[in-house]
Amino acid sequence: MTTIQQPRILGAGVDRVDGPLKVTGQARYPNDVNLPGMAYAAVVRSTIPSGRITRIDTTAAGKSPGVLEVITHENADHLGEAPATFIKNPQPPLQDDVIRYYGQYVAVVVADTQQNATAAAGLIEVDYDRHEAILDPHDPRAERIKDPWGEDTAWGDVRTALKRAPVMIDQTYTTSENTNNPLGLFTTLASWDGDTLTLHDSNQWPNMIQQVVAAMFGLPRDAVRVLTPFVGGGFGAGLRCWSHIPLAVMAARHVGRPVKLELTRPEMFTGLGHRTSSINWIRLGATRDGRLTAIEHESLTTLPLDGDEYEPCSSVSTWSYASPNVTARDQQVRLNIPWTNFMRAPGDAQGNFALESAIDELAWEVGLDPLEIRLLNYAEVDPKTGRPWSSNALRQCLEVGAQRFGWSNRNPEIGSMRDGHELVGYGVAGVSFFWYQQPCSATVIVRGDGSAYIRSAVTDIGTGTYTIMAQLAAGLLGLEVDQVEMQLGDSSMPVGTAAGGSGLTAALGSAVHDACGRLIKKFVELAGTDPFSPLADVPFGDVEVSEGRLFRKGEPTRGESLARILAVHGLTELSAESTSTPNSADQMGMTPAGARGARFVEVRVDEDLGRVRVARIVTVNDGGRILNEKLARSQILGGTVGGVGMALFEDTVTDKDTGRIANATFGDYLIPVNADIPDVHVEFVGEPDAFNPIGVKGVGEIGLVGVAAAIANGIFHATGKRMRSLPITMDAVMD
Amino acid sequence: MREFRYERPATVAEAIRAVAHDPEADFLAGGTTEVDLMKDGVFHPDLLVDITRLPLRGVRRNGTMLQVGALTTMEELAADRTLMERAPFVVEALLRGASVQLRNMATIGGNLLQRTRCRYFRDPAVPACNKREPGTGCEAVNSVARMHAILGASPACIALHASDVAVPLSALDAVVHIQSEEGERLVPLTQFYLMPGETPDRENVLRHGELITAVDIPLPPEGTRSIYLKIRDRASYEFALASAAVAVIMDGPVIKEARVAMGGVGTIPWRGFEAEEVLREAPATPDTFRSAADGTIRDPFVVPGTAFKVELAKRTLIRALTEVTS
Ligand SMILES: Cc1cc2nc3c(=O)[nH]c(=O)nc-3n(C[C@H](O)[C@H](O)[C@H](O)COP(=O)(O)OP(=O)(O)OC[C@H]3O[C@@H](n4cnc5c(N)ncnc54)[C@H](O)[C@@H]3O)c2cc1C
Ligand code: SF4
Repeated sequence: MTTIQQPRILGAGVDRVDGPLKVTGQARYPNDVNLPGMAYAAVVRSTIPSGRITRIDTTAAGKSPGVLEVITHENADHLGEAPATFIKNPQPPLQDDVIRYYGQYVAVVVADTQQNATAAAGLIEVDYDRHEAILDPHDPRAERIKDPWGEDTAWGDVRTALKRAPVMIDQTYTTSENTNNPLGLFTTLASWDGDTLTLHDSNQWPNMIQQVVAAMFGLPRDAVRVLTPFVGGGFGAGLRCWSHIPLAVMAARHVGRPVKLELTRPEMFTGLGHRTSSINWIRLGATRDGRLTAIEHESLTTLPLDGDEYEPCSSVSTWSYASPNVTARDQQVRLNIPWTNFMRAPGDAQGNFALESAIDELAWEVGLDPLEIRLLNYAEVDPKTGRPWSSNALRQCLEVGAQRFGWSNRNPEIGSMRDGHELVGYGVAGVSFFWYQQPCSATVIVRGDGSAYIRSAVTDIGTGTYTIMAQLAAGLLGLEVDQVEMQLGDSSMPVGTAAGGSGLTAALGSAVHDACGRLIKKFVELAGTDPFSPLADVPFGDVEVSEGRLFRKGEPTRGESLARILAVHGLTELSAESTSTPNSADQMGMTPAGARGARFVEVRVDEDLGRVRVARIVTVNDGGRILNEKLARSQILGGTVGGVGMALFEDTVTDKDTGRIANATFGDYLIPVNADIPDVHVEFVGEPDAFNPIGVKGVGEIGLVGVAAAIANGIFHATGKRMRSLPITMDAVMD
Repeated sequence: MREFRYERPATVAEAIRAVAHDPEADFLAGGTTEVDLMKDGVFHPDLLVDITRLPLRGVRRNGTMLQVGALTTMEELAADRTLMERAPFVVEALLRGASVQLRNMATIGGNLLQRTRCRYFRDPAVPACNKREPGTGCEAVNSVARMHAILGASPACIALHASDVAVPLSALDAVVHIQSEEGERLVPLTQFYLMPGETPDRENVLRHGELITAVDIPLPPEGTRSIYLKIRDRASYEFALASAAVAVIMDGPVIKEARVAMGGVGTIPWRGFEAEEVLREAPATPDTFRSAADGTIRDPFVVPGTAFKVELAKRTLIRALTEVTS
């Protein structure tokens, strides 16, 4: 089925199609939606990390002006179990008196205004029987889970290889907890109509919310409709059905009115999960000339008491570099903390910092240029299976990046490049990102006027799904981009997958690609039934499409427009649906590779005060085929900013006795400001990936990965101090 | 809704009367401290007396003095030409504070009275905070204290006074005009703030119902060089981990006269009288600067999270002295 012309619009940096709606305030985010008769909810959160509620007094709150209802575990509806969807979801809230972490919901108040609800929530008194909490990952009483996903990996004989290695690096690297902090406050507006439920909800996966809510409330899935046409960012925060969602649904049922529950910023810190801290133990064995002979990578990350999380930090060590002997093992430890959860590049962000720091240490140890050591150990094939990669332009990323950055100007001696009080350092890191794809469905429909639209229950979390899918389909259907509309964010559309794991573009794009092919085929078949059609006896394989017309290859006048074919057959629309499923590595005979990248940074370190400034960043990435260069660049830029945050600022701090998150505001939790971000040079290299029909590898997360290691490596070059713990603050750098 | 009354009197006397006669009343200037703390549930005034329409706005030159109305915004004061020429470090301190949006709202009177950023003070769910609830203890001493004070602190409270502009103003011996029903009194800024001691809830000499009407800034002699150096984790929009305000009059390589104050380290804006002693008539050398720094950061009260600030503060002062004298 190669009838479809090489897409002609792909790659163009088309402006975000939803841009005008967003900048003029017309895009309706969940918290912008208001319904007649709507009431407002405010939550009450626990102020102990572990124990039981002994008394909860809602008398004053119940009498407070405007209050319609107060729900606690004493009068909450009994809800059904929350099913796991790829990963566990929190079990329904307010089902018992047990407190598992500081910030757990213990009550919800519903009132006629937000102000009344919030004021009344402050009047609820809770007494606790406080139990001792386990908050420190090193606490021997904490439950440890070994090999949590059955993915621990080993090949060769690491122990012997390390013993024999002439050069060895043996170090520990730690990263802090980070909080996703999408700008849009997560909101659920729940509205019942008899036994059907509509949710306007902030999330990254409407069908997941639909499934979980339906199960908890004992409804058929069809009875729940989740609408998320816009969401103010997610960074992973919207990948589970968090407890405020069933709270809003329960509240709406209690008061018989639509109820809006908008989280506050501090509530966003406890209610939507956060990136786990990590401890990474790495041992590298190498020859004297810097060739890796062994990698051993173990990690420890954290879990809440009652949740799960997939953060295989060590996995980067199984695919980043060629090594004949590798062990990668992960462990998790359960603590009385709010849920840990996916945050932009889960596992990889932390694991890469550790591995790329260790590789850098090895380069210094053997006296090799940090760029050279990465090229030297480049994995030509998948080191685990020996299979070829579906694509892997890591080498090109490193080479092109080095050139753009001017790496050759680097004086290798530590502290040799100085500018006044500032020590200048150059740092590099390579990035090999994970591959991820899930099934996804989409329908493509051509209307009577020749325009088209696509439907799929996915979300556009700001990444550009609206735009790139319109571009993709326009190319495949021979239409202009503005003739194609992407409709999404509605669970009643064809089942969509999550906007997560950098896997949506491949999953949805493959479905759209296939649906467009099927649709053209339907048109050709339809034309074939019309003896007067110029295409009447043209075989499908000979048909091309351009400017909304089908025509015979090499004979552009012999053809018919899509609109005309529909008109002739008295049809208003013609549609085709497709569900993509990821290819199998066995069948393809190759290992699917995620995106690849290289980071080059110039840091400047104040020699007395230890303050680190990032002066320049070059980020080169292999994302396979780039559907829209402008939007892909935005993803990389945003990721880079996140990477600088992870490296130098972001740290979700927990009080060691109470488990309270101590800095749950934007005043206290530092993210970079504009003045912290230098000019960032973004470039894409590589080839279309061979593992999916549209050749893409997602670029939503990779931009963040590697930035922290490159900064730390640059600080070493500037100062001779190895920073093995994130974030890197001036007290650590200062002598 | 937590209800409160709101009044906007037209005269200073009415405003003072309204607050003085209601123990639960607060003045409202730019609101960037007051309203934040109301939303956080830390302040619960039953009456807000909006003073923003009172005729207390603007900067007047009065001989060798600049008289700054209490309602002058941070941006307005930062744009004052005389100040820029004669005491640029005040302007620098203003412009390195907050963000431009906040500085357009925030007033000089309000800035001097801003409350600490201590995370335990600002969250009423935390039971122990002597400043918020006298006698309950201090959560910060045992917790996360990176942004806290090392000078003037006590086990009862280590909260930082986070104002930037108060630092150079202390160095210049600015004077606060305080009006009450009884009349006006003048208090030098260096005597305006109180150390926490056992009563961290009392932060300054102001009594309930007293209004700051103006701040006098004595202009340093022509030829004075000054600098405000603010050290923080990120490049902007953050309070200081350490800051130094320094003004010097040089005579060749010798410092004739010096004024020193530090921010980010004290429970009050920290005037460095000892440093000034050391610097007066001393050569501008690294040794001099180091002794000045040692003299300023003396007997610190540190907790694990603040220990690094001792050396950071000293180096910040040394850097400021190096830059301003070279
Ligand atoms: C996000 C953020 C960042 C900030 N960053 C900085 C920074 O980097 N550096 C810095 O120095 N500051 C910073 N600030 C603090 C800011 O400068 C102060 O909040 C502001 O100056 C207070 O002035 P205001 O007019 O808004 O005071 P208000 O909030 O109106 O009042 C503050 C207090 O003073 C009382 N009051 C006000 N005026 C008078 C008067 N004339 N007489 C008697 N009582 C009065 C009020 O009752 C209230 O209790 C920041 C604030 C925020 C919110
Ligand atoms: S440092 Fe002061 S303000 Fe902070 S918790 Fe302790 S007593 Fe309260």
